[in-house]
Amino acid sequence: MKGSLFRCSLFTIKALYTLLFGVAVFLFFGLAYPHHLHYQEQYQLFLFDSTYVWEIIRLPGGVADLLGRFCTQFFLFAWVGAAIVAVLLVVVQLLMLRLVSFGRLFGLSFVPSFLLWLFLLDENALLGGVWAVLLTLLAIWSLVHHPPKGRGFVILVTIPILYWMVGPAWNGSHYHRYPTVVPVLLYAAWLSAIILPLAVHACKKWANDTRFSTLFSHLSFLLVAFCMGLLLWKNANFKAERVMQYDFMARHQQWNRILSTIKAEKPNNQIGVTVQNLALAMRGMLADHLFEYHQNGIAGLLPDVERDATSPLPTSEVFYQLGMVYVAQRTVFEAQEAILDFQKSGRCYKRLAQTNLIIGHYEVARKYLTALQKTLFYREWAKETMSLLGNEEAIAKHPEYGRLRQWAYAEDFYFSDHVTPEMLEDLFFSNTDNRLAFEYLKAYYMLTGDRKRYTNLLLHSVSR
Amino acid sequence: MKKILYTLLSLLLFSACSETISDARQEIVPPQIYPDYLGVTIPTNVAPLNFCIADEAALRIDAVITDNYGNNLHSQGRESLKFNLNDWHTLLSQNCGDSLSVTVSAKYDDGWHTYRPFTIYVSPDSIDYGICYRLIEPGYEVWSKMGIYERNLSSFDERALIENTQFEGCVNCHSFNRGNPADMSLHIRGSHGATLLRHNDSPLTAFNTKTSKTLGFCVYPYWHPSGRYIAYSTNATSQLFHSANGNRIEVFDTASDLLVYDIDTNELLLSPLLGQDSIYETFPVFSADGRSLYYCAARALPEGSHQLDSIHYSLCRIDFDPSTGTFGSRIDTIVNAAARHKSVSFPRPSYDGRFLCYTLSDYGQFSIWHHEADLYLLDLSTGESRPMTGANSDDTESFHNWSSNSRWLVFSSRRDDGLFTRPYFCHIDAKGVVGRPFMLPQRNPRRFYRNRFLSFNVPEFIIGPTRFNGHKASRIINDDYRKDFGVRKYVEH
Repeated sequence: MKGSLFRCSLFTIKALYTLLFGVAVFLFFGLAYPHHLHYQEQYQLFLFDSTYVWEIIRLPGGVADLLGRFCTQFFLFAWVGAAIVAVLLVVVQLLMLRLVSFGRLFGLSFVPSFLLWLFLLDENALLGGVWAVLLTLLAIWSLVHHPPKGRGFVILVTIPILYWMVGPAWNGSHYHRYPTVVPVLLYAAWLSAIILPLAVHACKKWANDTRFSTLFSHLSFLLVAFCMGLLLWKNANFKAERVMQYDFMARHQQWNRILSTIKAEKPNNQIGVTVQNLALAMRGMLADHLFEYHQNGIAGLLPDVERDATSPLPTSEVFYQLGMVYVAQRTVFEAQEAILDFQKSGRCYKRLAQTNLIIGHYEVARKYLTALQKTLFYREWAKETMSLLGNEEAIAKHPEYGRLRQWAYAEDFYFSDHVTPEMLEDLFFSNTDNRLAFEYLKAYYMLTGDRKRYTNLLLHSVSR
Repeated sequence: MKKILYTLLSLLLFSACSETISDARQEIVPPQIYPDYLGVTIPTNVAPLNFCIADEAALRIDAVITDNYGNNLHSQGRESLKFNLNDWHTLLSQNCGDSLSVTVSAKYDDGWHTYRPFTIYVSPDSIDYGICYRLIEPGYEVWSKMGIYERNLSSFDERALIENTQFEGCVNCHSFNRGNPADMSLHIRGSHGATLLRHNDSPLTAFNTKTSKTLGFCVYPYWHPSGRYIAYSTNATSQLFHSANGNRIEVFDTASDLLVYDIDTNELLLSPLLGQDSIYETFPVFSADGRSLYYCAARALPEGSHQLDSIHYSLCRIDFDPSTGTFGSRIDTIVNAAARHKSVSFPRPSYDGRFLCYTLSDYGQFSIWHHEADLYLLDLSTGESRPMTGANSDDTESFHNWSSNSRWLVFSSRRDDGLFTRPYFCHIDAKGVVGRPFMLPQRNPRRFYRNRFLSFNVPEFIIGPTRFNGHKASRIINDDYRKDFGVRKYVEH
């Protein structure tokens, strides 16, 4: 009776530790790392489409990749994403417990999950990697629990199936956005999931000795939690999280939130400054408050278009809001093309549909919208926007598209990667209702110290 | 695997879901279908022309194709027709040089509608085995996944020759000698840049085509009919972007010259007439007899000028002696487009020596981004040019090439949606009469072209499978070894 109670309480404590771990993961990604999840979501586009699914699962590792992509679409909502990550990491830990009796070494069952958590700190680590480890553990668990009779045959069948499901776990592709990066932490998690049960099995006599079992279990958990917690703290990139937050706020046009964020802490990174200036301009405060915040010269106002997938996105928000529709279109298109694992982006598709709609390329817009209709979270928006195609009156009345169509350049000229003051002048002087262009132009002259043009602009503004 | 799955599913659907058409309303107009196959001329060996009702409100589509001998072929589907491959080929082979009548019915909420039948002409001229093309997003400067692919025109099979997942960089400029993949050229850009050459089915060799005496890498290859020479241009290319123009992008040269590569001696053959600083020369092609080189030439812009709309290329010609590898001493202007403030690009002579097809746009040489670009046919016996009205559309028509029997032309067009390039095929008879073109057939064309966010770039006919080993090629590309092109000294006349 006493032994049973003892086992019950130990079981409860272990369950509590697992729960504690899950809650910690959930809170970490929900509170401290939500924009990393948003960042992940914006570099993929999960389609409920047989061709899309087939193209993924036909490749080795495709099942893990597909499951990873499927889950990542929920990262649009950070708390849902945090819950998914927490559940996956908890399941990995529980599978570890099912593989072997850890006994006194209970804490070691958390090692693969902690390593996966560490892996996911990298914004380019893909969730398919977690699924690869989970599916591998699941396969090992089912083999371990298979009756000895016929186990050899089952192993022979399982290995190729497992290779198809999680294959490139061995060489890392599919599991990191940079194809040339070796995901060491993923390897470590995967290896630990195999080696630790073997090691525990090797010393099972000591590990399962009931003397001081509870104490050792506590200690082993606390030791693992402390070491891994330390590693997490050291490796978490909260600076990147801040940058991603600015990008997220710009994407969702949260201008007031941006203003309160910059009030609390002035950004001093490229993306933060760009977004800060956009929010100030959207509220008509840019020129008046320009020098209250960090500036990065012209580059903080209208950065040159780079060839990567990250920095052009907030820059394109500025182009778009200013009415530089073709410039925004090019910037977003290029950013999407620069996604290193060749995926597409819901955010980019949405913006490409919008820019094509504004410039009247309805068939191209329809193509993007049709794809977005096959998604879970962009479907409704795509359906609504589809009804605008070709409807000139509705577009003209639309608060955003109508305004941007009116503000867009009337006279064509060539542009490249660098925004010139003439481009802003063209915008403003051809449509003096464009107050955003006015704000940017003033700020441009202030940053370059061009007093003459600044005065002329003000005179022009007053004389209207 | 996928093929088997499709077949099984199709059989299941055919047997289970075919509806009988009853009380159909007879429409006096022909149907509006996607792709538009009304009145097209097709070769006997082309894949089934499956199509959909253009109006997506249609619930079902049904079609019966009948010939003049009482044979017929029936298909019905929810979204698209799916003709049986074997039955289709049998029907076409029975009607070589004849016409087929297609009766289409569509089911809407209010019941079935049967439309006025339309005709498809079956040409006795067959088409080559397939086409080879690059699939790439119609983008600006950065590229995502891309590759070179071959497609069997008698079926729907597509195969990747090589993709940029196999190396770091981009792949372009695939070229064959009159569609014969035994002679093949392929260009790789990026850190592993190289030109891969296969001559007479020899193993692939990676070349460095840039020399100290030439402008840059050799691009826009065109094989001499003998297989001994390849004409190239070498271009200093830039891009600018439109701020308020549907053409989006301008790709232009700030310098360009022509050269001919002699495979036997591993030498580039140069001519001072083809490397003038004051002239941009590009898109060289050999005439059918191999004794002339056609190309496009424009007066160069002053340095730093961006008056791109003043660059007008004309079609020129220079003699070429294949026995000595020497050029003539005179340049003839064949089509003086510059005088009309127009611009010629992509000259392609038919292999029978009768015609030369080219693209005409308002300015520049990168006509794929010019919505006004159209195809023109030059009659080489009379020197007269005329627009290929039957093949052209309101949107871009650009790159094109001839089938090995010179009766079919494959060309790129953006008529489908204004951005994504699709391959079209048109028949051109011995008198230069152009048949109505048809878009590359697909199993389910609407689904296929909607889902594919890639342009078919530089479609080239191939007379058989390329037998290109992508794994071997990627090993060669990823290896550092490159054989350098040599340069022969000028032979002055």
